[in-house]
Amino acid sequence: MERKYNLRVALPIVELLNNGLSLIIEPQPWNPGLSFTLLVPVGAVNDPEEYLGAASMLETWLWKGAGPRDARDFADALDALGLRRQSGAGLEYTTFSASVLPEGFSASLELYADLMKRPHLPDAAFDAVRALALQELAGLQDQPARKLFNRLRREVFASPHGQPVEGTRETINRITPEVLRGEFQRRYGASGSVLAVAGGIDPHEVVRLAKMHLGDWGKKTPKPAAVSLSRPHRFHIEQSSEQVQIGLFYRDVPPGDYDFYTARLAATVLSGDMSSRLFTEVREKRGLVYSVSATPGSVKGFGYLRAYAGTMPEKAQETLAVLKDEIYRLREGVSRAELDRAKVGMRANLVLSGESSYARASTLARDMYLLGRVRSLEELEAEVIDVTLERMNNFLAGHPYSNPWIGTLGPKGAI
Amino acid sequence: MAALEFKEATLPNGLRVIAEINQEAKSLAMGYFIKTGSRDELVGEEGISHFLEHMVFKGTKKRSAWDVNREFGEMGAKYNAFTNEELTVFYGAVLPEFAPRLLELLTDLMRPAIREEDFETERKVILEEIALYHDRPNFILYEKAQAAYFGSHPLAKPVLGSVESVQNLTRQQMVDYHARRYVPGNMTLAFAGNLDWQEILSLVEAMTAKWPAGRAIRNHPPFEPKPARLRDVSEKAAQTYTTFLAPGVSASSEERYAARVLSEIIGDSDNSRLYWQIVDKGLAETATAFHHEFDELGLFYVYAQGDPKNDELVSQAIHEQLEKLEREGVASEELNRAKLKTATSLVFAGETPLSRLFYLGMTYTYTSRYEPLTALRRWVLHLQSYHLNELLEAKPFSKALEYHLVPADEE
Repeated sequence: MERKYNLRVALPIVELLNNGLSLIIEPQPWNPGLSFTLLVPVGAVNDPEEYLGAASMLETWLWKGAGPRDARDFADALDALGLRRQSGAGLEYTTFSASVLPEGFSASLELYADLMKRPHLPDAAFDAVRALALQELAGLQDQPARKLFNRLRREVFASPHGQPVEGTRETINRITPEVLRGEFQRRYGASGSVLAVAGGIDPHEVVRLAKMHLGDWGKKTPKPAAVSLSRPHRFHIEQSSEQVQIGLFYRDVPPGDYDFYTARLAATVLSGDMSSRLFTEVREKRGLVYSVSATPGSVKGFGYLRAYAGTMPEKAQETLAVLKDEIYRLREGVSRAELDRAKVGMRANLVLSGESSYARASTLARDMYLLGRVRSLEELEAEVIDVTLERMNNFLAGHPYSNPWIGTLGPKGAI
Repeated sequence: MAALEFKEATLPNGLRVIAEINQEAKSLAMGYFIKTGSRDELVGEEGISHFLEHMVFKGTKKRSAWDVNREFGEMGAKYNAFTNEELTVFYGAVLPEFAPRLLELLTDLMRPAIREEDFETERKVILEEIALYHDRPNFILYEKAQAAYFGSHPLAKPVLGSVESVQNLTRQQMVDYHARRYVPGNMTLAFAGNLDWQEILSLVEAMTAKWPAGRAIRNHPPFEPKPARLRDVSEKAAQTYTTFLAPGVSASSEERYAARVLSEIIGDSDNSRLYWQIVDKGLAETATAFHHEFDELGLFYVYAQGDPKNDELVSQAIHEQLEKLEREGVASEELNRAKLKTATSLVFAGETPLSRLFYLGMTYTYTSRYEPLTALRRWVLHLQSYHLNELLEAKPFSKALEYHLVPADEE
């Protein structure tokens, strides 16, 4: 089972421009298209406490005109390239992603450079931006699982990592155009940002175009915040709903740690597919849920494992107990068969995700932000192969997943 | 880009096998596309297509549910299934070396054991799934609007069934439904990616040789949309959810690409008529439009979600835009932009074998034809205003059903 797959991919190319912008390129010569992700480390984590939601509003406002174009001309210019885009602010950064044909790459980069360097941030559009922010916040109420995990994050982190991306009613109403322009000046910049490109394009051409369009982008971005945590505890959000939402949060190893992939493989044994422990024990054997999962995650310098289950109130107590027990039971170790399946699954995933330019560009940008370097698919594969059963089980014995933060959402008295 | 090769065969039992071969792909995707879904359910069977999709993974004569899950895991397969009103699809993607093993597993699953004990456990899972969706106002809206729009037509039936119908389903009903619908003449097995056609085809032949031949029929009762404006309250909603359903064109219609591009002009999420009139002004958080294609008919689906106090303004804006479009037709600049975006999406739809599989399998299931993405792309780029204006001449949006789901305290 340990044979090496023929991944046939070139190594990602990394280039640090003079202004501090990191450029990552992964050539996919077979691909007729390309995707890119521009990651700017502006997120809820560096929103000032009195202006929570600023990063998210800023992202919406940026699209209201830049360079020589108003909002409509700008959108039309992107459409004229056939470009498909996605963007959004998150906890630690804002990403601007796009898929386009190689012949449209230079023109699209020029437009995104205008967005970064010369946005209009017009007063006339500000009320609409605020109205959208308030609606997004109100819409959270209709997404019980998201609402629970937002609150869970706020309960876990004592550092700004607990701050809500959507902001609060109060802070959104407090933000003025002047405040938001100030936030743009303070936080958007080249140094610390990342441009990742994957697809069918000559990497030399990418370097040349990036220098041409983004080489004169100035300014710095904020320093990443240090993580601090509260003491593990439990809370309940009362809401009338059909299902009770259950969320658990455990500390885990940080990105870049020697045992990072060991922990990722353990999470795969727990929840990687339908043969994993949680699916088998909670859904297949007991029929307690439709959805159950454990998902590893990271912020810069810190790793965690989050578990989720949704179930009807009468089964909530049992579901929480089984979920916690299964996760705790990891400390007893995994079997060889489980580890082998987890490894094959992770390696296959690497190959499958490596075929998508969009997935690669966003992974590379995120890797660069989290680790300050990127890894080729070969390097990742080697890391996975290196995790032996002994190493895995030693890790699990010495790093028990216990004492989680526990959050629940549902009707009164359900749990 | 590597040259793609298309292959097709119909086996003596009626099973259709197709493949789009790309020797440069690093993976292989395959799937069984069965022409069955909620619209094919008899009275008393509501929800059985989707329930059966779950039971398929619970094992066969020679495999337990655990065996099934474990074997997928041993291949590192990315796999799943879905059911809608007209189709049930089981699919997986693996590295090419696992192709025979994945094929054998998926093929065995098409003849599930449907054991009584598994049936009862899975019933609980399905009821949880229904509860999950009933906590989502956007989903409640779609189910209600669909039921109201299609009336007595079988497309009115919800895919999940109801709590009551799922509680009453029996194993025997499912065995009968399976025997009636999972027949080779009603199924297509599709492949996309890196594979050896001769090898795969002879494996498929050997594995399905004992499947009894058979065909399944589908009823196509007449349907006439009746314009209406409906409103309902939901205890669960904090925002207002609005939809317009209007007649479109079918999955085998030549006009379906024109209809898709028209829906982009109306409601693309970044640059469309509804975006500028509604989202850019901050009236609603979301305002989009899609075109859904079914067997003999289609549906334009407009959707908005946002602040309850803007409910009336949003509804007015949608009406205005749809009426204006019917009155004046599309402008050539907006058509060009929408065409280009659709054409780009088609390039990326071919990027991975798994994403390619869905287009390939569905198109073939509905049309019995192979459409290379490059040809599709040319087709889209050649669309002219009159193609879209012909669709608008039938005044589809004048026949729309409008449905609002509003928070309880807004009444």
